[in-house]
Amino acid sequence: MPKVPGMVKGLGVTFRTMVETLKPSGGPATVQYPHEKEEPSPRARGVIALHEENCTACMLCSRECPDWCIYIEAHKTLAPPRRAGGKPRQVNQLDRFAIDYSLCMYCGICVEVCPFEALFWSPEYEFSEVSIADLLHEKERLGEWMETVPDFEPYEAGSEAKGKKVPR
Amino acid sequence: MTVTDSQKMAYVAAQAADARVNLQFETEDGMTLNMGPQHPATHGTLRIVAQLDGEQVVRCEPIPGYMHRGYEKLCEVRTYPQVTTLINRIDWLGSFANEVPFILAAEKLMDVEAPPRAQVIRTILFELSRLGNISLFLGDLGIQLGGITIGFYAFRDREFVLNQIEAATGGRFHPNFDRIGGLKDDLPKGWIAETHRAMDRMRRLCDEFEELVLGNEIFQARTRGIGVIPADIATSYGMSGANLRATGVDWDLRRDACPPGLSYDLADWKVWTHPDGDSYARTWVRLQEVRESTHIVDQLLDSIPAGPIMAKVPRIIKVPEGEAWVATENPLGEMGYYVVSKGDLVPFRVKIRSASFNNISVVPWVTRGVFVPDVITIMASLYFILGDIDR
Repeated sequence: MPKVPGMVKGLGVTFRTMVETLKPSGGPATVQYPHEKEEPSPRARGVIALHEENCTACMLCSRECPDWCIYIEAHKTLAPPRRAGGKPRQVNQLDRFAIDYSLCMYCGICVEVCPFEALFWSPEYEFSEVSIADLLHEKERLGEWMETVPDFEPYEAGSEAKGKKVPR
Repeated sequence: MTVTDSQKMAYVAAQAADARVNLQFETEDGMTLNMGPQHPATHGTLRIVAQLDGEQVVRCEPIPGYMHRGYEKLCEVRTYPQVTTLINRIDWLGSFANEVPFILAAEKLMDVEAPPRAQVIRTILFELSRLGNISLFLGDLGIQLGGITIGFYAFRDREFVLNQIEAATGGRFHPNFDRIGGLKDDLPKGWIAETHRAMDRMRRLCDEFEELVLGNEIFQARTRGIGVIPADIATSYGMSGANLRATGVDWDLRRDACPPGLSYDLADWKVWTHPDGDSYARTWVRLQEVRESTHIVDQLLDSIPAGPIMAKVPRIIKVPEGEAWVATENPLGEMGYYVVSKGDLVPFRVKIRSASFNNISVVPWVTRGVFVPDVITIMASLYFILGDIDR
């Protein structure tokens, strides 16, 4: 029996793939992006959301950021005492919290070091701007992202990691 | 914006340096061919200057450095957890694999060891980044030789591997997932089953590649006997990885000198070598490596032990004084970090040995006397990542 030329065999692969994309079970591998969207995984690092109530302006995220793109301004203020008759507490009032997404490397160190769970990752990725200056998200904009933060996924079997909850 | 005198001088100096390189290659009867820094056949910005005699290459010199980002110096002003963010970007196709040797070196200095669960998951992610890297090679090689179909197939199936990396780490290209003493987070539910499916897809891609490209007569004519590198030349130029194994040298750091912190010994696998040393052999060895990788991942996925993901490590990491060298078998070859610590928050000095720089240094030797189109084949089959050369 004569040997099948390699080129013909290769064309067979191309043909098989073509038939597969025509089948309803297969379908094309691509999506028409602006009209259809692929869902990123819940852990995907798209944009950082800020839960402002939890932030104490401790500056840890700002200091640990590898490219120093987090700007925090705060002032000290007196809060009413926790118990009646106590002394008023001194707390940090957050004035400004901004992340410059034109510098951000999306490494997630700020989210990781935050001791009060004020920062969260959202898989949202469509926030490109015409002007680079608009990529500086102030705390109002960062707070809006909070709605897009998905719940943390449960862990795989055998894990001892503690599940976390997203404050709503 | 005004241009200062020193900027003008720097520009003139750069132009003069460029012209000098061209002049060196100028001959009376031949011609100089300049490929790159921007050229469709160079991935990244590698510049190749070739002195030609008709269609034959007399001398060919790769000129790296157009993408130098100074990572060794940048590492000196970043704390240890911040360094992994940077070194993700060295070999951008197999990012997770870049973190591992650095973290292992820091673990060696701090004398901590990741828990077994973290070690196995680390090894799985290491192999996934290898799959993501080399599957792109399989596609890219086809594109360089004019067969664009396999390029699309490779991108299609690589997506499954990248999705798995994203589902576990959160980043498709820059995971930044490895930590000193373990991993950042545990795996999400359903990841193991999904990864098994992705491995099936990769094996199918290998079968398709074999039929579509390896068996193709044109591909064989373009690669068999082209760019032959003997074993002694390969070792003397410091080549490593699949390029070295394609010359017949049975050398794999994963098997020979696996550093503590990676658990390759849990899986049963084989190191593939090819005696020819030509472009075909390099492709064939990489193809087998993808297959072997999928088997390693499959075996390790079934043997993930239960337990914690992170060892006890202080919150603020100060690495004690000392020096450590750790090298692992990365997708492109041997990648190692020499970390010198003075007991500070930041490393005192980091020397990065990346595979691609040594792998392409053989180009002047191997391209003597070959034809111009073969330069493309040889460069494609040597498989370098520009970020890995220039760092």
